[in-house]
Amino acid sequence: MNKKWGIAIIMCLALCAFNIATEHIFEVPKNWPKPTYNSNKNPLTKEKVELGRELFYDPILSKNNLISCASCHSPYTAFTHVDHDLSHGIDDRIGTRNSPALMNLAWHHLYMWDGAINHLDMQALAPISHPDEMGEKIESVVLKLQHSKKYSKLFLKAYGDTVVTGEHTLKAISQFMLTLISANSKYDSVMRKQSHFTEQESKGYQLFKQHCASCHTEPLFTHTGFENNGLPIDSTLNDIGRMRITKNPQDSLKFKVPTLRNIEFSFPYMHDGRFKKISDVLKHYTSGIVHSKTLAKSLQQPILLSSNDKVDLTTFLLTLTDKVFLFNPKHSFPKK
Amino acid sequence: MVMRKFIWMFCVLVTHNFLFSQQDKLVFHPTFFNQTLKPEVYYKLNAKDSIQITSFKFYVSQLELLNGRETVWKEQSSFHLIDAFDEKTIVLSVPSNITFTKIKFQIGIDSLTNVSGAMGGDLDPTKGMYWTWQSGYINFKLEGNSNLCKTRHNEFQFHLGGYQQPFNCLQTVFVQVKSKANVTLNMDVAKLLLYIQLSELNHIMSPSKEAVELSGKITETFSVSYE
Repeated sequence: MNKKWGIAIIMCLALCAFNIATEHIFEVPKNWPKPTYNSNKNPLTKEKVELGRELFYDPILSKNNLISCASCHSPYTAFTHVDHDLSHGIDDRIGTRNSPALMNLAWHHLYMWDGAINHLDMQALAPISHPDEMGEKIESVVLKLQHSKKYSKLFLKAYGDTVVTGEHTLKAISQFMLTLISANSKYDSVMRKQSHFTEQESKGYQLFKQHCASCHTEPLFTHTGFENNGLPIDSTLNDIGRMRITKNPQDSLKFKVPTLRNIEFSFPYMHDGRFKKISDVLKHYTSGIVHSKTLAKSLQQPILLSSNDKVDLTTFLLTLTDKVFLFNPKHSFPKK
Repeated sequence: MVMRKFIWMFCVLVTHNFLFSQQDKLVFHPTFFNQTLKPEVYYKLNAKDSIQITSFKFYVSQLELLNGRETVWKEQSSFHLIDAFDEKTIVLSVPSNITFTKIKFQIGIDSLTNVSGAMGGDLDPTKGMYWTWQSGYINFKLEGNSNLCKTRHNEFQFHLGGYQQPFNCLQTVFVQVKSKANVTLNMDVAKLLLYIQLSELNHIMSPSKEAVELSGKITETFSVSYE
């Protein structure tokens, strides 16, 4: 009888351990909405995430084997490309937009500044194929991976099959990107009642809720939709944003609202990286708005902020820095 | 006694499987007017032009058989990439023990599948039928050369696709069949090229009004013959 109980207890413990192990790969932060990404169709496993991480940091995805995803999405800068307004790719070719920061991607339904990509699985295809980014074809990537001993092993571990397919390659990259969750900033600990805002941060939070939150909605700090935020048109780019995809004039000059999480590290700002500092961004919203037919509703009335307000608001924005996320060894370059 | 019952059951199952596994062929046969279309052979639409086709691929999905108005068979996860110049891909199978008067299928990929992420088999994005700069399957691809096109190497390229309104290019095809024998669906590319006016329009590469219009003409290229 005792033996039976013993076995039952061991089995229960094993089951719990298994549950804990799978939960830790992808955990929805407390009080967050349900993710948009349906992980039932691509269940996360440690091995698949690891394969995805190897692929993310491997220049094998580019035509000349020199550019990896991380070239423009560095982990230490919230997975974006700092120091460049327009990001550059293969052969130092310069693109037309600033690479977006990557985090909390499971909660988005469209990707890229213009929403060209409709699913996280398909996202990697765009930079891989773009002549100014990685200049490669997914067909060739699959062939290169197929001929690599390292990847045969990793695909076998992840999928139980050494045959590399486009589907498995893309889904593994998705799995790694899904694990890039930022929810451990000071703001988050205040929301979880584990710490307190300073008086200045608190004032800044009130200003944020009043002036910014309708587009940069909590807890993602983006409503994940598209808006025209009144930027003057850069005549060297003439980027019409979302309208390029929908061909609908109502979408003219609309770009995806970026998250403000880790804003301290994700400079330069805007789709074309035109602003280097947070103060430049605040100046735009208080005195630089260009009115046009598609201007966001929330920007129709001027935003008035004193210089003290701007300092308070900036102090709040810095509470969105998540060092646990930025320096998480699970997100960084895989060790040999 | 039990053994006898078991053997009897076994026989029933085997016969059942045999009957239901009998397959008829459904063949997609590309033509240029009445000739079988071959790659890199020059054909004439009119006296002045000459046209060759280098690539002709399309998706056939949601294959169904109907008897009158009633659906009598529906293929499960029905997605086929047909490469007109690859004989392995042009033959589909339908069950032979079913009476039907109509074949129904779609040319292209439905909108739900288009937004469902990475998929394998014929839907794998390595098949060259997926746009990379903007998500979505290319439903129908026709490429070639003609002296009518004032382009580099006289090329023309028609990549038809788009799953969102107002540029949804998905086409539903109904074909009436008379005989129960193997069915051949002829697809006359010449009909499509006559509609296009190659001297004016030589490429479509994104979801657009032009893509929707041309997609609407694909259904008119079909005719039926029997083996």
